[in-house]
Amino acid sequence: MFDKLISKSAGKSPWLFHINAGSCNGCDIELVAVLTPRYDAERLGFRLAGTPRHADIVVVSGPLTAQIKDRVLRTIEQVPEPRCIVTLGSCPASGNVFKGSYSVVGPLSKYVDVDVDIAGCAAKPETILLGLHKAAQILEEKRAAMSKGGNK
Amino acid sequence: MNFNEIVVHFPALATMVLFLGAFLVTIFGGKNRGVRVFLAMLAATCSFVMVLCVAKYVIIDGNMITYWLGNWSPVKDYAIGIGLEVDALNAFFALLVTVTTYLSGWYSIKYMSRDEGGDYYYTLYLMLSGSVLGLVLTGDIFNMFVMIEIMTFACVALTAFRNWSKGSLEAAFKYLVLGSLGSTCTLSGIALLYAQAHTLNMAQLSAFLSGTLNQPNVVLALALLLTGFGVKSYCVPFHFVAADAYQAAPASVSMLFSGMVNKAGVYGLIRVCYIIFQSMGLSTVQTLLVAIGTVSMFVGVTMALSQHDFKRLLAFHSISQIGYVITAVGLGTALGVAGGLYHAMNHTLFKGLLFLCAGAVYYATGTTNLDKMGGLSKKMPQTCLIFLIAAFSISGLPPFNGFVSKWTIYQAVYEKAVSGGIGYLFVAIVALITSVLTLASFIKVTQSVFFGHSRESFRDVKEVPGSMLVPMWILAILCVVTGVWHEQVTAKLLTPATNAVMNVTRYVDEMMGVGYAAKYMGANEVVYSSEMVTAGGIWNPWTWLMLFGIILVAFVLVSAMGKSGRGKVIDAAKSDDKHQVFFGGEVADASAVVGSDLFWGFRKNFSGYFKVLGGIHSGVVNDYAMWAVCTLAVIIVYLNVVL
Amino acid sequence: MTFDPMWLFYILVFPGVLFCFVGGTLLNGLDRKIYAKMQKRIGPPIAQPFYDFMKLMGKETIIPYEANRTVYMAAPVVGFIALVTTMLFLPIFGFHAFGGVNADMIVIIYLLTIPAVSLIVGGAASGSPYAGVGLSREMVAVISYELPLVIVLLAVGRKAGGDGVTFSLKAIADYQAANGALISHWSMIPAALAMLLVVPCEVGSHPFDVAEAETEICEGPLVEYSGAPLGVFKLNYYVKQLVCSALFSALFLGGKGTGMVALDAVIFYLECFVVTFFSTTLIRAITARLKVEQVFKFFWTVVAGLALVSLVLAWYGL
Repeated sequence: MFDKLISKSAGKSPWLFHINAGSCNGCDIELVAVLTPRYDAERLGFRLAGTPRHADIVVVSGPLTAQIKDRVLRTIEQVPEPRCIVTLGSCPASGNVFKGSYSVVGPLSKYVDVDVDIAGCAAKPETILLGLHKAAQILEEKRAAMSKGGNK
Repeated sequence: MNFNEIVVHFPALATMVLFLGAFLVTIFGGKNRGVRVFLAMLAATCSFVMVLCVAKYVIIDGNMITYWLGNWSPVKDYAIGIGLEVDALNAFFALLVTVTTYLSGWYSIKYMSRDEGGDYYYTLYLMLSGSVLGLVLTGDIFNMFVMIEIMTFACVALTAFRNWSKGSLEAAFKYLVLGSLGSTCTLSGIALLYAQAHTLNMAQLSAFLSGTLNQPNVVLALALLLTGFGVKSYCVPFHFVAADAYQAAPASVSMLFSGMVNKAGVYGLIRVCYIIFQSMGLSTVQTLLVAIGTVSMFVGVTMALSQHDFKRLLAFHSISQIGYVITAVGLGTALGVAGGLYHAMNHTLFKGLLFLCAGAVYYATGTTNLDKMGGLSKKMPQTCLIFLIAAFSISGLPPFNGFVSKWTIYQAVYEKAVSGGIGYLFVAIVALITSVLTLASFIKVTQSVFFGHSRESFRDVKEVPGSMLVPMWILAILCVVTGVWHEQVTAKLLTPATNAVMNVTRYVDEMMGVGYAAKYMGANEVVYSSEMVTAGGIWNPWTWLMLFGIILVAFVLVSAMGKSGRGKVIDAAKSDDKHQVFFGGEVADASAVVGSDLFWGFRKNFSGYFKVLGGIHSGVVNDYAMWAVCTLAVIIVYLNVVL
Repeated sequence: MTFDPMWLFYILVFPGVLFCFVGGTLLNGLDRKIYAKMQKRIGPPIAQPFYDFMKLMGKETIIPYEANRTVYMAAPVVGFIALVTTMLFLPIFGFHAFGGVNADMIVIIYLLTIPAVSLIVGGAASGSPYAGVGLSREMVAVISYELPLVIVLLAVGRKAGGDGVTFSLKAIADYQAANGALISHWSMIPAALAMLLVVPCEVGSHPFDVAEAETEICEGPLVEYSGAPLGVFKLNYYVKQLVCSALFSALFLGGKGTGMVALDAVIFYLECFVVTFFSTTLIRAITARLKVEQVFKFFWTVVAGLALVSLVLAWYGL
């Protein structure tokens, strides 16, 4: 009965959970910049959640070090469906300058299905906003597919 | 013979059958467990049924029972034999006593089955029950003292019953010292009264003592009796032994302690202050009782917040709740007495239930240490549910019974503040805050015993057997019933009892013959205002429940309509990555947040206060005795100065 | 007690479920919008809380392995119902849906603790250590605001009680209808200020959101909640804001009203909005989170002191 409304809402209220998988902090502060008055991601409904259970979009930054791989995957696993996985910056998508390092096991797409890659080192806030917006749309589609697919 | 002719014998018989049971258990129950359980429960059941009859006759039908043992009725206006007088107040307390006894008995059958020496247990259990029942039913003050003595020694022995466990002998010794002090005070007070009035009958004493509160020896007797019964009710500063004793005794006995032994003290206080000395019309005595009660409330609950042991925590809550009762009774108004008696009853129900829950947890896990438990709610779902009912009752959440009685007490205190001065506002605030702190400490128990991470060592824990759950369920249902039907309870049970407290003349006349009060008390008689004052208080649980029900139905309907669109509810079949608790990405580890870690923000700000309190609770029995004696001295001086 | 068909309207539409749902989400949306404007942001759409709620309804609900399923699922619903019933008991100017004959101020205090307890027990039932820390903080917050709240209510009860005292919300509403809103009596202003500070602590917003501190303890008691139960908890948060503001309006901003219930309701809602603005939005925008022991100290000294001033003044008939 409320299917359409819920699907629509899914795209309008995406909550982020941010995981730092060995990032240099450059992308992390850019993500915070997205939430500042200048870019104001909240006008699109974005909000930082404190725990993966509340999240819709998991934002992973950093090249995925060997130490943190299991933790990242476990945390992603704990996010309820429908969920989107977004890589922030070049590192988690490709390994960037850390590629080939003994301690880096990325890219993230080897282990989970990544929905959006946001490129850049560090990614620009405008790009991040665009990428997150894309992720929100994907979220809406996933939600619509979920309810069509007989969510019993 | 019809019912009315038989029922007058029941007060004496109900007491005696318990004592008789005690002897029979010793004689025949030594070898065979079945025989002693049968004998004990037979005695308890007989007594229970008889007291029910008495309660119907006295409270519902509005009669009074006067019964002279051996038919030694008064000669020339002097009572020469022991008389039992049962008015609505006695019957009310007798009802509490037998309900506690009866349910504790059923619970004990399974709970005590692992202990050695069951025949001693049942003997002492019946002695204790019989003595408290005798105490609340008697009309003779020396008989009351005898019952106090039996009660004290049965309590001491039962405290030490698990003498293999740490601290039980120590607790018993402390109890012995303090209990003897209390008994001594009572006996001295009685001796003084006897020297003064040449009688031991309470009704007669009441008639003779009216208007004599300006005499120093009467004031001294009042102070001694107040202290004596204060010790028995474990109010601050006589509360020290209570914590040790409740902790050390088996849970079924702790239930008896908090359900009826300290009620016996409260009953004594009411009887002494309202009837015998008729002192509750004086604002000075009111102030004394309210002060004791208020301090008990706050000290009890704050001490409870810093406990690590389930039963010790409950013990401090007993002190706190008795503080409510004494405060309410000390107001000297009809509403106050009604609230106090209501809370006494509720305390018997929910505190008994909490002790039984503690016992169930002990039975299942073998410990009552809050820091060593966790996650029992999945293993013991019924106990958990029952515990939550009891915890919400004691914390005073609507619609459970604790709310109603506390709410009555707040009204009584606040009403009193208009006539009695701004100090009572402080009492009202303390009472309300105590309620929240009670909630806090039960949240602590809930979190650290039933919820949180379950421990590996409790993997094989099972729910306790049905014979233990049934008494618990009965008490839990009673907690809800007395909360929801509070108007009926007030009308049927509390109004008669309150009227009995407020009506000295009726008590005297019934015992000693009509016109006795007028003859001896005359103009000195203290007349309490006995109309039930209703404050602006309004609480209709039925409407609330109806609203709750309708909204719940609406909620369920809407949620059913939206079912197709709603996300799946995924139950955890196993502890895989997805269903572990979030642990910052790590594998979830057993790291329960234990009770002693909670409420840091509160304890930090009160650290000075807790330090002082910790110093006072030194564990040295000499200190405790000193507190009792000093308090006695203070009460004597205070009463002599102001009366 | 005979059943009146009008009751269903009260319970389900106004001032019951629907009003709480729409009013609460709208109030929160306005709060977020104004908060954003204060920070020179555009801010989320006003319907954002509604979207949040609907989205959460569509998410999976993962019940952790350590959780007690029944309590975990039941806790948010009980909290929500308790809040709606509280709303039904509050007077709206001269209009009492159920309040006049069924509940008084003490009942309101205790009913308002039920949502906090449901949050605490629900958090405890989820079995997470973060929730353990969070519920401990939530409980300390409850202890903190309860003292000033109690004193405020006693002060109001004394003021509205004339020569005596009263706990009746109807008596308070009648007193205000006859003598003007309580906030216009100068002796009640400290109590009103104290109450304004109690409201944000009660709903758990900045700077008193110690329990749900998402940056420190992962949203405290809510850490393991997901999907529909989380949505109901979020809804509780919105409704609580409405109910607490409504309690303030009922206690301090009462009056004759216009005589028309519909118009009264609109004015009442505007009052709630103003209270929310001053108590929550404004304070939230200009402060950072306190530590838990600071919250406690603040409430038991400053706020309780303010309330006490009013109580003493009211006691001596001022």
